[in-house]
Amino acid sequence: MDDKSSIFFKYRKIIFAVITFMIVDATVIGINFYNTYMADESAVSINLSGRQRMMSQRMTKALLTMDRALETGDEDGVKTSLKELTLTVRRFDRTLMGFRDGAMVTGGDDNPTYLTRVDTDEARQFVADAYVIWNPYMERLKPLLNSDRESFLDERFKQKLTDAPTLEEVKNKFKAEEAFTDTEFAKKLEYIKNDPDAFRAELKAAVDFALEKNPTHSEPQNNRAVLKLMNALTTDLEHVANKQAKKLRIILVVGILVALANFGYTVVISIGDLMRGDRELALARKETVEILSTVREGLFLLDKDKKIGTQFSESLPDILRRDIIPGADFLPHLEAIAPRNIYEAAVDYIELLLGDRVKEALVTSLNPLTNVPVLAADIRGNTQTRYLSFFFNRVVAEEKISHLLVTVQDVTDKVVLTQQVEQAKNQAKIEVETLLRLASSDFDSLKQFIDGVGESLAQINEKMSTPHDDSRERLHTLNYIMRIVHSVKGEAAALGIDVLEAYAHECEKEMVAMREEDSLSGDQMLRLAVLLEGFYQRHSSLAQIVSRLGNALGKAQTAGEWTAQKHPFADHITALAQRIAVDHGKQIEVSCQFERFFSLPKATTKELQDISIQLVRNALMHGIEAPNHRTMNNKPPTGALSLWCEYLGHGQYTFTVRDDGCGIVPERLREHFVKKNIMSPEEAATLSDHEIANHLFQPGISTSETADQDSGHGIGLDVVLEKVKDMGGYMLVKSRPNQFTEFSIQFSTVH
Amino acid sequence: MKGINEKDIRIFVDAVSNFFFHATQEKVEIKTAYLLESDVPSSTYDLTSYITLSGSFTGRIYFSAPRTMLTHLLVAMGEQTRDNDRLLDAAGEIANTISGNARKHFGETMEISVPTAQATDPNWLKTVVSPHSYVILVKWKHYRASVVVDIQRADVPLAVPKAEN
Repeated sequence: MDDKSSIFFKYRKIIFAVITFMIVDATVIGINFYNTYMADESAVSINLSGRQRMMSQRMTKALLTMDRALETGDEDGVKTSLKELTLTVRRFDRTLMGFRDGAMVTGGDDNPTYLTRVDTDEARQFVADAYVIWNPYMERLKPLLNSDRESFLDERFKQKLTDAPTLEEVKNKFKAEEAFTDTEFAKKLEYIKNDPDAFRAELKAAVDFALEKNPTHSEPQNNRAVLKLMNALTTDLEHVANKQAKKLRIILVVGILVALANFGYTVVISIGDLMRGDRELALARKETVEILSTVREGLFLLDKDKKIGTQFSESLPDILRRDIIPGADFLPHLEAIAPRNIYEAAVDYIELLLGDRVKEALVTSLNPLTNVPVLAADIRGNTQTRYLSFFFNRVVAEEKISHLLVTVQDVTDKVVLTQQVEQAKNQAKIEVETLLRLASSDFDSLKQFIDGVGESLAQINEKMSTPHDDSRERLHTLNYIMRIVHSVKGEAAALGIDVLEAYAHECEKEMVAMREEDSLSGDQMLRLAVLLEGFYQRHSSLAQIVSRLGNALGKAQTAGEWTAQKHPFADHITALAQRIAVDHGKQIEVSCQFERFFSLPKATTKELQDISIQLVRNALMHGIEAPNHRTMNNKPPTGALSLWCEYLGHGQYTFTVRDDGCGIVPERLREHFVKKNIMSPEEAATLSDHEIANHLFQPGISTSETADQDSGHGIGLDVVLEKVKDMGGYMLVKSRPNQFTEFSIQFSTVH
Repeated sequence: MKGINEKDIRIFVDAVSNFFFHATQEKVEIKTAYLLESDVPSSTYDLTSYITLSGSFTGRIYFSAPRTMLTHLLVAMGEQTRDNDRLLDAAGEIANTISGNARKHFGETMEISVPTAQATDPNWLKTVVSPHSYVILVKWKHYRASVVVDIQRADVPLAVPKAEN
């Protein structure tokens, strides 16, 4: 952290203002405290000075009262006067000394207190003048007191004493000095009785001095001179106290004004700094909001508890397709959209990043949340797969990981594009392979096939162009399309045109899924149109290839006459049968007699070829057993499949496909139909074997447990039956369990 | 290869559907969809509006409907004027809605022309669109109309539309 970013630099003006404010306040309070202390001392001095006036008069009064009591023989009066005289003389004497030198004296509350010596010249002069009178006065008073000792012989009394035990000791000493005890009085009374004249002379000397004219003073009597001096001292002390009070007020006013000015400065500086800070904060916040509302990526902070921060980019809910509440837990959102295994890996990864055991750069490649497939519903409620990538960066504050900055991108377009490129590469590869295969195929068969596919697609399109008012009509059209597509798939397989076979298979899968839904909507017709367009594209590409091949081979683009006795379809169907057998771990030997095909109309030949393909698939998938099964049933491991076409005369033909497989077993069919909920057990039980077998010719019925390229979609025998019907023929099915199945089609070319 | 997918096509159909829904609280329903070629119905009705796209996609989107349907639409919208110009305006507004949805879906880089609307003969679409353009036949109340999508990605060579008129 550099100097300019430190908190002290940022708030330096406020800190300076506050410190100044505190110094000024402390100074004012200090001065105030000192003055208060001084005022206390002044108050004590003024108070005691006032008491001196009173004491001087009380002692004179005591002298006169004692004189009267002595004359009248009033013993109690003498005693009281002696007590009063002793108290007033001792206190006056001690207090006057306090004014002169500073000393402990008896305070107004009879407790010891320290009296400071007077400071001003005038006051000191008043005290000195008082002593001029008091010293001789005291000499005359001493014989009358409880003892004739001087006060304040103890030097300790000149010190300021504060601790309680010592003060108590001083108090007792002072009391003892000031007290005229009964014992002392008895002694004094005895003295008076023994020598009354002597005592009277001592008293008279004191009274005379008190009332005697003072030659150095304007006052006529010493007593009044002392009173006047004490008065003057009091006035002077009050004057000094007033001066101090005035000084204190001025200092206080100045101090408060300085403190107020300083406070005002602090407030102005603080408000200025706060306003500037607010402006900067508002600007920063505005920038943050602008960034968060503009950025296309989802941005948010993730704290150690995996909670989303209070601010995140506006695009985040759109990208996640979820309502995000500030401060919400992130993991439930992730769990809802990501596949389970990726979610679990992501939880570990986030933990790893929030910990400080590993370096961020080392684990970046472990991020499981790149190109994550997520499922979400679009506005039409259709589920679609999108791809999201989450990137995590540590946010470090004071050398500790405080948050993770998470960036979320919708990378669907990128991923789809990559997939499309990959698909295009595969497509190109398949096309090249197809081209090579086509180059080695019979050209006329190819041409015939391509033309046939074109016609089939046109038929589909024509059927689709009719408005479909309800689900039933759409289902009818769907079945129609499925039959055609299935035929195309079979022919493509027979010719080894993988690209078309694979696409037909893909379409078939989608159509089977559509058929399984409760009802078919118009939206699905749009899907069919898109599939059809894909078919057209592939057909167009193939047509171009075949056309170029034709040109290369110098052949006419119409099918020519067959030159060999063996029909080329025999090779195609044999190849298809071998391929299916190999794919499913079976062995097959195919024999074909298609010579009669040469004499049949081209359309009929095409229909028979379609039928052959389907029946061969059926035979391989459902009839011919695996070699070990065949061996167990005392059959040769290689199955036999025969296809032949015979002329019966008068334009009548028969076309037969026979295999030596497991045959059609009605009981097995019953079990299968019940298991697949195609019929109830009761219904299955009531149907005859013949009726059960007839179910095989209904759309959507398959005896395969699983669907693959060659079977399981329930398209097959219904296609065969439709074609036989289109040809105006009929079909016979013969079968014996564990021995054979034979489909025999009889048709006529004469109508 | 057109380079467009089902999702792209749905954008345009949804636009028409939303227009009708906002105007009349009734959505249109897809009856069927097919590819335009010589042996199938043209699905051109009395009035046709269209927009022309250029940018990442090029081509046109058409909306064609019978006069009676557009008249009924104006009635449902509470319009008093229902002459030929107003019917063409209504067809143009639907094309404009398609334009808005296209811009939203394909991004701002897409250039889209202002809608054009005109009276059309029954086979008109067959004379102007590329082979195998998508025809989506829709139904609103008991009327039929068509949305024809004749666009492809810019990197795919475009069949030049035949001259109009």
